[in-house]
Amino acid sequence: MASIALHDVRKFFGHHPVLHGISLDIRDGEFVILVGPSGCGKSTLLRMLAGLEDVSEGEISIGGRVVNDMAPKERDIAMVFQNYALYPHMTVAENMAFSLRLAGAPKAQKDAAVARAAEILGLAHLLDRYPRELSGGQRQRVAMGRAIVRDPAVFLFDEPLSNLDAKLRVAMRTEIKALHQRLKTTMVYVTHDQIEAMTMADRIVVMNGGRVEQVGRPLDLYDKPANLFVAAFIGSPAMNLLHGEAVAGPNGVAFRAKGGGVLPLPAGRGIQPGTPLVYGVRPEHIELAASAACDAEAQIAVVEPTGSETQVFMTLGPDSLVGVFRERVADEPGSRLRLRIDPARIHLFEPASGARIDAAAASTPPIREAEPA
Amino acid sequence: MTDTTLSLKTGPARGRRRRPGFVAMLYLYGSLFIVAAIVLVPLLTTALGGFKTLGDLRVNPFGLPGEWQWSNYWDILSGARYWQMLGNSLLIASMTVVLTVAVAAMAAFALAHVRFFGSAFLMNYFLVGLMFPIATAILPLFIRIRDLGLLDTYLGVVLPQVAFGLGMAILLFRNFFRNVPKELFEAALVDGSGYIRFFWFVTLPLSRPILATVAIVAFVNSWNNYIMPLIMLNSQDKYPWPLGIMIYQGEFSTDWQLVLAFITLTILPTVIVFFAAQKHIVAGLTAGAVKG
Amino acid sequence: MSDAAGIIERPSPVASRGRAPSRRRAGAVGGHHRNIGGVWPVLVLFLPPALVLFTLFVILPMGEAAWYSLFDWSGYGAPEDFVGLKNFETLWRNGAFRTALTNNGLIILVSLALQLPLALWLATLVSHRIPGTTAFRLVFFLPYVLADVAAGLIWRFIYDGDYGLVASLASLVGIATPYVLADRDYAIYAVLAVVVWKYFGFHMMLFIAGLQSIDKSLYEAADLDGATPWQKFRTITLPLLSPTIRLSVFFSVIGSLQLFDMIMPLTGGGPSNSTQTMVTFLYTYGVTRMKVGFGSAIGVVLFLICVTLAFSYRRIFMRHD
Repeated sequence: MASIALHDVRKFFGHHPVLHGISLDIRDGEFVILVGPSGCGKSTLLRMLAGLEDVSEGEISIGGRVVNDMAPKERDIAMVFQNYALYPHMTVAENMAFSLRLAGAPKAQKDAAVARAAEILGLAHLLDRYPRELSGGQRQRVAMGRAIVRDPAVFLFDEPLSNLDAKLRVAMRTEIKALHQRLKTTMVYVTHDQIEAMTMADRIVVMNGGRVEQVGRPLDLYDKPANLFVAAFIGSPAMNLLHGEAVAGPNGVAFRAKGGGVLPLPAGRGIQPGTPLVYGVRPEHIELAASAACDAEAQIAVVEPTGSETQVFMTLGPDSLVGVFRERVADEPGSRLRLRIDPARIHLFEPASGARIDAAAASTPPIREAEPA
Repeated sequence: MTDTTLSLKTGPARGRRRRPGFVAMLYLYGSLFIVAAIVLVPLLTTALGGFKTLGDLRVNPFGLPGEWQWSNYWDILSGARYWQMLGNSLLIASMTVVLTVAVAAMAAFALAHVRFFGSAFLMNYFLVGLMFPIATAILPLFIRIRDLGLLDTYLGVVLPQVAFGLGMAILLFRNFFRNVPKELFEAALVDGSGYIRFFWFVTLPLSRPILATVAIVAFVNSWNNYIMPLIMLNSQDKYPWPLGIMIYQGEFSTDWQLVLAFITLTILPTVIVFFAAQKHIVAGLTAGAVKG
Repeated sequence: MSDAAGIIERPSPVASRGRAPSRRRAGAVGGHHRNIGGVWPVLVLFLPPALVLFTLFVILPMGEAAWYSLFDWSGYGAPEDFVGLKNFETLWRNGAFRTALTNNGLIILVSLALQLPLALWLATLVSHRIPGTTAFRLVFFLPYVLADVAAGLIWRFIYDGDYGLVASLASLVGIATPYVLADRDYAIYAVLAVVVWKYFGFHMMLFIAGLQSIDKSLYEAADLDGATPWQKFRTITLPLLSPTIRLSVFFSVIGSLQLFDMIMPLTGGGPSNSTQTMVTFLYTYGVTRMKVGFGSAIGVVLFLICVTLAFSYRRIFMRHD
């Protein structure tokens, strides 16, 4: 078990910077997920933790030891790869015991470690099989077993579920989370799937373009995205983001989108009419207005019922808007829908910086870690 | 390659599902049988000729022997000469295979997996060897072997054979090694292995097909090689079979029945092994030669 | 040549799952790490054996051949009798060498004009889905696995004027027994026949592999378009087979240039040098007489021919690759 500290970590491929100075503290036993679109540097960062990529600048320490110049095997880490990277010519048991074999461990120790990992992952009946004889989910489990056998201070996962089908992915999600709760080892997990991040992580690190956009607990990110990127990235379907400005209305200050739609703003935020804004509202926070009193009228473009809920794509003037409703919406495309929006659940951002404007009067600086020098 | 070359589910075939008509079949099988006869008749005549007497051979080169002269074959098989030269060939070929595989696999591993300055240049350096016949440098090679004191030793034949096989073997190995997934190496790295142990524990066990190919190419080339032992060996008791058979032919030049029996017996191992392991041999030799 | 390699064999047996992994940075398994110890040990241990062997027995001798070719030298002591290009002059004035050059050219010609079409034709025949093709393929390939020396001896017997097949064939049709290999006008053609006999199967295998790589649905599409078999062959098979054809040409040429083992048992270069090739000439006049300078000059000429052919081959054929 170990904590991890990154201090102003940078990475260049040639002269091309891919990480712009990442500082991050991961507590002992924490399950941290690095999430972001492809190319954001999350995998590179993980590989630097593993020792598979050099650290160009900055410092990485694991368990209090600076590991910048340590070989992977000296770092007391184990890694689960996207493609599992199982040795095709070794059985499941041999795959899992390989690190111990390299270390020259006695047979008894190898057997015990393999048996323990197999028991944890339910692999006992597969120990003599070869990777090619296993299903995707089983291979995934063997890859984790190989990591468990090492009994490392830190587990690293590089998009481990991306090769599985949707159903299996959900099941394995639960399994990995259960594994963490059982082993209580520090885990760093990379994914591009924000649902994976939301469901599994203790803390999420949202990355974009080689920078950390926000670090926080899953629900904090959902409730208080620090900026436009996080707002758009976390949550599915994605948050509606409308560009426009504050205007004076009959009930105080309201928001008017560029296309002309007017939406309510929360009271008491001290927003002056004329302030340019990005207005964010999550699809699940838009409601159908029960009475004639509504906040906005939108035109239906497409209705997608999923059974439990209905996703409706709408237009508000030239802007588009997505709503997710518990009710069934039977209206035809083209007809109008009256909407209510709870002003307390909306998010406001500065168009220029993308930073969140908070209730405490836009004075809070955006939570951006490690601005580039 | 291995599983496709000889499979029947092939063909640019006109009529993949339709069987060809009668005339087409006649043309197909007629052509195939004629060519097969041209290939086989000389071989069968040779084998049968070994059972004949010289007189029989003169009047009846085509047909079955009038009287089966088993002694022609038996005398050769019971003598030491035949076994000695096969043994020499086997020894030389085995040494060549082991050395070629070991040396080429190691070099190819370094060239495929380790990034270092000059790697591409080095690869091209080895590939130069593919383009030139051994004969171009045969005299300086002879002098080098002589100066090294290796003349008339097995090693004097083996080392040049290995050296000339390296270009091809390294190419085959490198192309194969480069297809080993990168993640496998990284996983091994995290598991605590370095390059050398990765080579031993992962690359080599994974490379059995290409090891077989390189070994077959090296073996066949050495087994059939004539010019290298011709130049490097002096003592008859060290001669591999291509040299031995020429000597034998020289001694018994007019006793064709003996020569034919001897030829038959010397190519017999090749023919047997070929039919027993045809799939691997065809694959190996075509894959190998394709890169030569 | 490595592009050619891809035609026949695409090994991907190691990926435990179906598709090949993306390679983040081309070429190397691991990136460039200072963390990974053992880069130097692997270079220092793994490269030198191959490097030393190859340099010592392939590259250096080639360079030495160029050097020795400028001397009149018996191979003992140091080469001292510097003669400049005299060896090359002698070589050029030697009638037997010019015959050898012509013969090598003839072998290349026959390989390309006769053997290649034959191999391609047989490849299309055995690619039919009819019973027995596997056996035919093996039979056709069989001569290729036999040693040249054995093939040469077998055919020496076949051609033998007293005991051979040719003799009895001649007596069957009632003509005088020809001593083919002893006839300076015809011996070379007898040799050429053996060359084709021995090597067509190998080229056929190349073409079979090439044919297999052609997408079968192309033929089905052509069927729907109403193409005749010949049209399909000309418009689909031949163009798509061109990489294999180039390959086959390459092997024919290189193989023809080094022909030696087969000539020795057949004719030994005779009668009166009429079947010499460059390598048999090198052996007869350079090696057996230990004329190192002269022999090296022959090697150098062979080398230069190979280089020229390799480069013009690249120019002619590899332009589009």
